Amino acid sequence: MSATLQNVVNKPYKHGFVTEIESDVAPKGLNEETIRLISTKKNEPEWLLEFRLKAYEQWLKMEEPKWSNVTYPKIDFQEISYYSAPKPKKKLASMDEVDPELLRTFEKLGVPMNERAALAGVAVDVIFDSVSVATTYKEKLAEVGIIFCSITEAVHTHPELVKQYLGSVVPVGDNYYAALNSAVFTDGSFCFIPKGIKCPMDLSTYFRINTEGSGQFERTLIVAEEGGAVSYLEGCTAPRFDTNQLHAAVVELVALDSADIKYSTVQNWYAGDESGVGGIYNFVTKRGLAKGRNSRISWTQVETGSAITWKYPSCVLQGDNSVGEFYSVAVTNNYQQADTGTKMVHIGKNTRSTIVSKGISAGHSSNSYRGLVRVSPTAADARNFSQCDSMLIGDQCSANTFPYIHVRNNSAKVEHEASTSKIGEDQLFYFAQRGIGSEEAVSMIINGFCKDVFQQLPMEFAVEATNLLGLKLEGSVG
Amino acid sequence: MSVVTRDSYLKSLLQGQSQLSASPLERLNRLRANAVDRVSTLRMPTKSDEEWRFTDISPLTKMSFQPMRIASPLQISDVEHFYLAETVTRLVFVDGVYAPHLSTKLPDVSKDSGFVVSNLSATKSEILTIIEPHLGHHTEFKDNIFAALNTAFLHEGALIIVPRNVAVEIPIHLLFIATQKEVTSHPRCLLIAESGSTVTVLEDYVTLQEEAYVTNTVAEIVLAENAVVNHCRIQRDSKKSFHMANCTVSLARASQYQSISVAFGARISRYNLNLLMTDEDAECVADGLALISSHQLADTHVFIDHLKPHCTSRQLHKCIVDDAAHAVFNGKIMVRQDAQLTNSSQSNRNLLLTPRAQVDTKPQLEIFADDVKCTHGATVGQLDNEEIFYLKSRGLSEITARNLLTYAFGAEIINRIPIESLKLQLEQTVLEQTRKN
Repeated sequence: MSATLQNVVNKPYKHGFVTEIESDVAPKGLNEETIRLISTKKNEPEWLLEFRLKAYEQWLKMEEPKWSNVTYPKIDFQEISYYSAPKPKKKLASMDEVDPELLRTFEKLGVPMNERAALAGVAVDVIFDSVSVATTYKEKLAEVGIIFCSITEAVHTHPELVKQYLGSVVPVGDNYYAALNSAVFTDGSFCFIPKGIKCPMDLSTYFRINTEGSGQFERTLIVAEEGGAVSYLEGCTAPRFDTNQLHAAVVELVALDSADIKYSTVQNWYAGDESGVGGIYNFVTKRGLAKGRNSRISWTQVETGSAITWKYPSCVLQGDNSVGEFYSVAVTNNYQQADTGTKMVHIGKNTRSTIVSKGISAGHSSNSYRGLVRVSPTAADARNFSQCDSMLIGDQCSANTFPYIHVRNNSAKVEHEASTSKIGEDQLFYFAQRGIGSEEAVSMIINGFCKDVFQQLPMEFAVEATNLLGLKLEGSVG
Repeated sequence: MSVVTRDSYLKSLLQGQSQLSASPLERLNRLRANAVDRVSTLRMPTKSDEEWRFTDISPLTKMSFQPMRIASPLQISDVEHFYLAETVTRLVFVDGVYAPHLSTKLPDVSKDSGFVVSNLSATKSEILTIIEPHLGHHTEFKDNIFAALNTAFLHEGALIIVPRNVAVEIPIHLLFIATQKEVTSHPRCLLIAESGSTVTVLEDYVTLQEEAYVTNTVAEIVLAENAVVNHCRIQRDSKKSFHMANCTVSLARASQYQSISVAFGARISRYNLNLLMTDEDAECVADGLALISSHQLADTHVFIDHLKPHCTSRQLHKCIVDDAAHAVFNGKIMVRQDAQLTNSSQSNRNLLLTPRAQVDTKPQLEIFADDVKCTHGATVGQLDNEEIFYLKSRGLSEITARNLLTYAFGAEIINRIPIESLKLQLEQTVLEQTRKN
């Protein structure tokens, strides 16, 4: 490994700073009282409290899952503060009212909100810690009937929709972390695309974790009615901390007949320092239900951050002719661990799914693809194609694939392919011959390796992701 | 099963173990005692164990285990049809018990060369020192109840030692015949191929009756430097029986191991093949075919562990699944940090013939070295309509076209068998089993 490569890999975390804002923090610990406190603080209706308590009850009965290929010290759930909200709590109507300190933070992060919305045409629902602070473009979206707001707000303004869909894809007792999230989630985004509406712009949310020691439990719910279409972006960065932070989000997508939901993620949370100290634990449950005929759910993710990434964005293909897609690039470096992949559950007839997963591991990291393709007896003529490629940079890292394929229908056609490779000396030599330095060559090779996935990203993200990867792997090859 | 208590069930598994006569080999007695201890701390795997997630062996736990001590009075004429034209050297075990009168003695020339094909319990003392470091050393029974049970009953078994630089031209036939119902046999094989030797071994499980019984085998194969071993494993047990098998192969520098395992029989079968590439330049090939129908379940777990650089492994496993049968495949390739320049490929192809057929496959890669070439793939599907159309356009009927394609799917593996008469026999079996009218 050359010195340049070392440099690239070891570039310090760009977004590591803490914004000092007075936070309204709940005492540490989790019990029924905490849940009632969250519910009261957020002025929630009775049914939501019941939802939370039911989840908590289930959670108590569950055990922490151990099957993944990641190791971490035991999490003390009583040491986490489950609620923290930036102090200025009054409703904000315009950007001017946002705490200037907060705005400066976004400035540093490179999110010039006031300009960005206008320039890029993106509506940004900013989540800062657990409370939605400002929402832009809401009026514009409201004109066509799209509801895009924080889930807290949706609970009050559209309780019937939230009540109908919340927990319908990821039930409260689905898994340990989903149950925890259902019990204590504080905020998140809600998006509703009514019948026949194509969302005129990409929707995006920025997540940041602030306030040392507070776990963040986001809840996202996106529903697209018949013929609706939406592209949703989620991007995250987080400040540098030494204590591990748990992040257990739940994302639910529901697509009715002919609806189309595209969910893209660029994740660059704090991954810990070079020796693996600190970093975010990212234990997320993401699932989309392609409920209607001809519906489509597409996940695209670029995972570069977090000390531990443990998530499987999944598609349940219930409607006939529904389509599920999963495109993923996961990059791990230093002591990062990633166990990620997808599940494609084929239930309806003629359902199709595509999985393209690219894993790049460097340093001492471990990168696993774990996927499930299940074809139920009812899924006649189901079709799946999976491809997962890994690239190793250095001999201290590992790349694993655990694909599970269960087929219960003989008309199904399932294909899985995987390969592992490295950046060869001859490839670098070829570049050098043409006057391209190793640094740039590596960046080009990696971008070529990930091209299939980057193509799926919306324009702005594709640029960001390319830079991100270059940054992450700088100095690791050669 | 409503197991009365765990202890009583385990006790029933070990029934008859204490009546085994002590072996002159002290290590063997110790090994048995350890295995007995181990059995009492283990339990039968259930579907909640990751390694047994798709293989429900609860029907097996309803069976009583009774090892057979007295061989059935079989005549050569009863079993002759299992003999193969090419093989002269054969060891026959009836319900797990060595049957000397059915086995064929070795040509005398082998005497001084050190070539050994014999029953394990009749081992001469000078040979003991050779087998001592290997017997029970390769197949771990720490977490494997079936290997532990086999080891607890370790008594007789097939022992093959091919001395240095000897090439044994004629295949060695290890024939395991099941004759009685509701018994358990624990066949054991140990093959030591010394440096530069070459040998072909056929491990053959057959039956003379169609009732339920349990076969629980352990095979240990050791290849020294430059040794070449061809290993065929044919499992033709009764469709009501249970077949549990563990095979561990240890490959030294520049040795070559080729294996073909074919499973036709058993209601539930499980084959664990562990290949350890312990030194550089070793090569292994592990091919397999499972051809199952009705409610059969065939489970193949192959683990290839690349511990050292420059090794090559290749694997092609196929399953033809008819009726409501269920095929399970788990291929795990581990490339350790040391094992640079590994070249490994693995492919699992499954053909489902009916809507009720099931397949669970998990081709797995775990890689800790960067300069390697590893690929794996898995496919599940039915016969290709275009291929059928192509044959129909040449005047074949739909049914003939289907039969031909299904046969060809399985024949790809069978054709790799190095023993001609066995190949013809199995081709016939595949043809008959895949033929639909």
